[in-house]
Amino acid sequence: VRRDRSDDDRLDRIVHLVMRVGVGASGVLLALGLIGTLARPDWAASGALMTAGLIVLMATPVTRVAASIVEYSVERDWLFVALTSVVLVEIVGSVFAALVFHRRL
Amino acid sequence: MAVTPALTLWILAAGVVAGTFGATLGLGGGIFLVPFLHLALGLPITVAAAISLTTVIATSSSVTAARTGHRLINFRLGMTLEVATAAGSLAGGITAQLLSETTIRRLFAAFLAIVAVMMLRARNQQASFVAGNISSLLGIGGGVLKVPVLNAWCDVPLRAAAATSAFMIGVTASGGAIIYYGNGQIVPALAAAAVLGVQAGSWLGLRFGGHASNTALKLVMAAVMLIVAVVMTASGRP
Repeated sequence: VRRDRSDDDRLDRIVHLVMRVGVGASGVLLALGLIGTLARPDWAASGALMTAGLIVLMATPVTRVAASIVEYSVERDWLFVALTSVVLVEIVGSVFAALVFHRRL
Repeated sequence: MAVTPALTLWILAAGVVAGTFGATLGLGGGIFLVPFLHLALGLPITVAAAISLTTVIATSSSVTAARTGHRLINFRLGMTLEVATAAGSLAGGITAQLLSETTIRRLFAAFLAIVAVMMLRARNQQASFVAGNISSLLGIGGGVLKVPVLNAWCDVPLRAAAATSAFMIGVTASGGAIIYYGNGQIVPALAAAAVLGVQAGSWLGLRFGGHASNTALKLVMAAVMLIVAVVMTASGRP
């Protein structure tokens, strides 16, 4: 496996941004929803806020993988386009498995 | 399952404690959170694992955000190994839906005992697929397996191994969490409490807890894990 190249500095910034936004947004949604649930159990919006927070949280690493595919395509690093695409396909496999076992979706 | 404010606050507090210990020992905290949610609060082990996996995603993402910019994460190595961990995570998530609660509880107990022994001894070597599989199945990050693998097999320095492991774990945990979510095993209020608690606890652990080389703390935690492993094996809870 090749070590980092200077191109990876841009990937580093992209990953940083995706993680910060994902953690920040999901944290705010989960906190608002949880406070809402504890303060006013009958308030329907709190459940929606927490569900949105969980979806943003679960989507954060997936977004990072998708962004890596784009970045490696820009770099024309086809080996890593292929490897990260396999990872994305495996996560899509989890979504399919979720649909098979679904009770909520 | 009745989601009461008391249960939610207990999970928040458990998250803080698990996050603090986890960050102090250089682990995510899932290994403490799952047994507590299951044995002390009586949640089914799949629900405990599902809740724990959501905290693993949050911990991985915030650690990754903090470690970027320091050239500590080896992206190419991490993404290569993710091919195996994501496959393991998918397999583990599916397996968790098919195995009985008792079987999963016994697997978790066995895993706890192994980790306790690993904490007492030097290091161990496992494959990435196994790390991903165990992660989804048991609701933990798997860093406890990945860090020694990266360090020993892939010749990555320990600090970089920890950063790269944390980076990979988010994808592994997401793959598993999506399956649990689809099956309705992630209760939003409980997961929210656990995520926020673990995030706060990790922050506390990193601020005030010092670092992983605390031998006395490791000894205590290894002893606690061995006791929990025995209780989990013996417990008749469905």
